[in-house]
Amino acid sequence: MSLKSYSRARAVHVMLVYTGGCNGCDIEIVNCIFSPKYDAEQYKIFLTWNPREADVLVVTGPVTKHNEKPLKAIYEAIPEPKAVIAAGACALMGGVYKNIHGDIPSEEISGPVDKIIPVDAKVPGCAVRPEDVLAGAVAALPKLLDAE
Amino acid sequence: MDEDNKITLGNSKKQVIETEVPMGTVHSAAIEPYRIRLFVEDEVVKDAEITIGVNHRGVERIMEGLPVEKANSLTEKICGICSNSHIWNSVLVAEKALGIEVPERAQNIRIITEELERLHSHLLYLAHGNEVLGHETFSMRLFYIRETVMELLRMIGGNRVQYGVPIIGGVRPRAELNQMKIQKIQEGMNLLEEKISDFAERFVSDPMIMSRITGVGTLKKEDALRLATSGPTLRATGVAVDIRRDMKEYDPFEFDVITQDDGDVKSNLLVRVLENLESIKIIRQAVNHLPEGKITNRSWDMQDTPITKSYIEVPRGKLYHSYALEEGRVRHSIVRTPSIANIGAMQYACIGSHITDAQLAVVQCDPCFTCTDRAIQIIQL
Amino acid sequence: MTIVDSLIALIAVIGTLIVAFVVSVWLPGVERKFIHARIQQRIGPPISTPGLMSPIKFFFKEIIKPNSPMPRLYNSLPLIGIIITIFLLIIIMPQLYPLAAFSSVIALVGLLKIEEILYMFMGSLSKSVLSLNMPFPDVVKGAKHPDVPRSFVEELSSMRAFRLIAFGSFPIYLAIFVPVAMAGSIFLGDIVAYQQFNGPVLFSLAGILGAVVYFIGFMILLNEYPFSILKTKADVIEGPLLEYASKSRAYVYISRGILMFVLACIFSTLFLGLPPNILSWTILLNILVALIFTILMAILSAFSPIFTFKQFYPVVTGVSILGILAIMVSFL
Repeated sequence: MSLKSYSRARAVHVMLVYTGGCNGCDIEIVNCIFSPKYDAEQYKIFLTWNPREADVLVVTGPVTKHNEKPLKAIYEAIPEPKAVIAAGACALMGGVYKNIHGDIPSEEISGPVDKIIPVDAKVPGCAVRPEDVLAGAVAALPKLLDAE
Repeated sequence: MDEDNKITLGNSKKQVIETEVPMGTVHSAAIEPYRIRLFVEDEVVKDAEITIGVNHRGVERIMEGLPVEKANSLTEKICGICSNSHIWNSVLVAEKALGIEVPERAQNIRIITEELERLHSHLLYLAHGNEVLGHETFSMRLFYIRETVMELLRMIGGNRVQYGVPIIGGVRPRAELNQMKIQKIQEGMNLLEEKISDFAERFVSDPMIMSRITGVGTLKKEDALRLATSGPTLRATGVAVDIRRDMKEYDPFEFDVITQDDGDVKSNLLVRVLENLESIKIIRQAVNHLPEGKITNRSWDMQDTPITKSYIEVPRGKLYHSYALEEGRVRHSIVRTPSIANIGAMQYACIGSHITDAQLAVVQCDPCFTCTDRAIQIIQL
Repeated sequence: MTIVDSLIALIAVIGTLIVAFVVSVWLPGVERKFIHARIQQRIGPPISTPGLMSPIKFFFKEIIKPNSPMPRLYNSLPLIGIIITIFLLIIIMPQLYPLAAFSSVIALVGLLKIEEILYMFMGSLSKSVLSLNMPFPDVVKGAKHPDVPRSFVEELSSMRAFRLIAFGSFPIYLAIFVPVAMAGSIFLGDIVAYQQFNGPVLFSLAGILGAVVYFIGFMILLNEYPFSILKTKADVIEGPLLEYASKSRAYVYISRGILMFVLACIFSTLFLGLPPNILSWTILLNILVALIFTILMAILSAFSPIFTFKQFYPVVTGVSILGILAIMVSFL
């Protein structure tokens, strides 16, 4: 393993962007970083609130209309290499909010996330479990490690 | 909020404002997306504007025309913190409209879940408050205490977050409590009581924290009443209002309504700490006197009903649900969450404090902007 | 001074710098893993990650143009910070004492001042996406105060950096002048020589007071909780450092570790009479002092919230008075 890949595997900075779900995934992710029980820092995952520092963008929520542009702006602010994890049912397919009845799409939602920005790892669940978020971060790692 | 609205407090128009600092919709202090514009002069907040609507997903619109059972479980997705409260109130509307009796055992299980939810919500609030204060250690400790509650919720509801147990006529079969679960809840309560008391003692005796939170973000009693705040935010200003006192579900239980006098961050934090202990008391009573019997009343018939309203006390205050039933489907659904009333308090509590304390003053009102983002109409008073 | 002597001196300086660099990359890890994580009852990151692996990772990231009116100047500021810190380390080395004017307390104070001023530039040059650049319809119909001038959160940090220069860094400068008052000279060579004859400054009343004041000043200069008014999560997030990415971000990470080590070395030079010198075994004591400072700072920061001006002013004033007291005691 080259120094580049090794250092990338040893320090992963995660930024959380929350785009209008129900708060559940969001709290579980913050919980998995802040709670001593899950303690993501032991897996070299650090929480940051600055897109310039981040490597991995964790997006939760179905991306409401107002959140579309901020999400894009934050994605663009992250320097390469970067990976995006969509966490939770809403981020994956719009959740219960996307389809009103049958196939009528809700006009409040611009998501799901992969419509707005490219997604590398998808973490299912409503709400996501902290363990799954950590597993998702691991699943996104190869993209970071192999990038130029 | 509208500027012309007479409720706008402080003569903001006359002041000369040096600069405006916008924060959000992604910010480290406010995990949820909302925009706050702070109008500051020499780092002292002179006026504040909170813009919501970022989270609006139109749950009522989706509920419209859904079968009532589906609509009830949809309300759970309004909020990930107080999911059980939403589904409970939504179920209560249907039960009230259709005249359904709920078995006593189911009633107790609902109360247990709701009080566990209050515990987890308040502990989350305290952890988030400490995080905004910059005290990472306390934040971590509170999250660790909260894990006990989360495990109990997962045991009862089957999920860590969306665990709502009520269904029309009772509770889900999943949520039936057997002897092992009851014992676990009792053990959990003992552990929590010890840990929360320990934490409270340590917290109150910390001079640096006390200096940070005393007198910050003060909301006066009369302003709190004028702004129609509800829940712990109102109780922290010294008004003893708790709808649990009026709810027939809570009649068999003994508990105190906690109030504090100052309306600042300290009072708000302490109200939540003390309410946790009251919740533990209620859960113990509910577990110890759990009546035998069925947990679901299946003998009811669907019929068309007019619009029915229901109010309950949720961790953040007063929650209102109302809808009518038509051929088993939901019509005219309205949800009013407690945080919408508290937004005025948040804006007002910011004013006059240092800009670092502004987010703290917002957080002290326990904002839940996901709940809050409903279609609202501002009426001229 | 012969050529051989100069050559040995040069090698010693370079050797000390290398030792300083090697030690400094571990200090943030010690802080995070052994103190913060222990106190918070969790496992914590590997010791190499915060100080060593993170900067290496940032070196390999894409170089982007920061959102700033002067991107090149902005990106060069952390590098300037590192160079100044290295200068600080060089002037306290005993090999430089023959160049008397250069290795004096005045040079020390001047370089520390530049270090502080950098934050002001950073704050006013950073225009992050997290504040005003966030695409959000703010000034729309019905918005409050639509005609007010608008500013970025980093500008708050810039103003706070100015306040730090104005009075926040009093404690560290006052503490620096305690040994000066005792030795009766501003030259580092004289101060070290004085301590070799009369014992370290630290073991006198003035020295103990001065050490306490120096420690508080150390924390303020490093922007560590609770004194981190430049970068708080509650409002300005990371403040002046918001726009740094890739290489510049790596320099920011490295400069913090080096500054921790160098400030500890300044302490051991001024208060213990042990300048960092690779040719002497006392460099181990320098490293020990750096570790003790890091550990003490981490313990204090783990148990305290961020201060606002309401708490910051009285603490700084109190500590400054203590510093003045220490200087007066040292004259007695």
